[in-house]
Amino acid sequence: MSNRVYELLFIADPNLGEEAVDTLTDQVQGFVEKDGGKIERVEKWGKKRLAYEVRGHKEGYYVLIVTESTGPLVKEVERRLKVTDGVIRYMTVRVDEELRKAERRKARRALADEKRRSRPGAATPGKLEGVRS
Amino acid sequence: MSPENDNSSGGQSSGGSGGYRPAFGGGRSSSGGRGGRPGGGGPGGGPGGGRGGKRYFFRRRKVCKPCADKIDHIDYKDVKLLSQFVPERGKLLPRRMFGTCAEHQRKLTLAIKRARHIALLPFMGD
Repeated sequence: MSNRVYELLFIADPNLGEEAVDTLTDQVQGFVEKDGGKIERVEKWGKKRLAYEVRGHKEGYYVLIVTESTGPLVKEVERRLKVTDGVIRYMTVRVDEELRKAERRKARRALADEKRRSRPGAATPGKLEGVRS
Repeated sequence: MSPENDNSSGGQSSGGSGGYRPAFGGGRSSSGGRGGRPGGGGPGGGPGGGRGGKRYFFRRRKVCKPCADKIDHIDYKDVKLLSQFVPERGKLLPRRMFGTCAEHQRKLTLAIKRARHIALLPFMGD
């Protein structure tokens, strides 16, 4: 129950500069870890153009934090993000179920491919004959 | 005589499901292929029966792109993929435009909405 994986993506103010964004990221990681969440990985996408203006900004630093935590913890982290200066937009998405499904789909596909490869001669001529007749 | 023959053969090919009434089908198409659409009658079961009148209007069958490319997971962060399904205006379009299957359309829609929120995709283009 408690092991849910969330992707926490936020956009930092581009005027902050590289270092300030790093400290901001550490700060957000602190929010998560303080209440027992685990950080799986952190991706810094760097400065990107926004598709539309957000709080008067046309660019923003994107930071993605993948974390293992719980619902109440996410709520608390989001509340903190809301009041943190320098964060102009954030979003949390639960991904563990979707990733598990994708994993299963991949496994099934691999299995089907193997089956097809193991007896390719049997299937093809039968099909051709069916078309001819 | 010869056009009637052509029509009857056409009727047979499309009327695989309604083979028990070939004479009626042939008569219908000989009386004018365009107008002779029976009001939701017998040949509705066959794929050719429904639009028998517009035979010259063939459309290439669209294939669901996520299915064809074997994409397991539609990610809201994958702007490259998502932007293929969003026109310049930025609107979400119905399934029939891209030929996506229902499952993938649903996932694309959700992913596009998420990408919009985080300013990866526009709500409205120019």
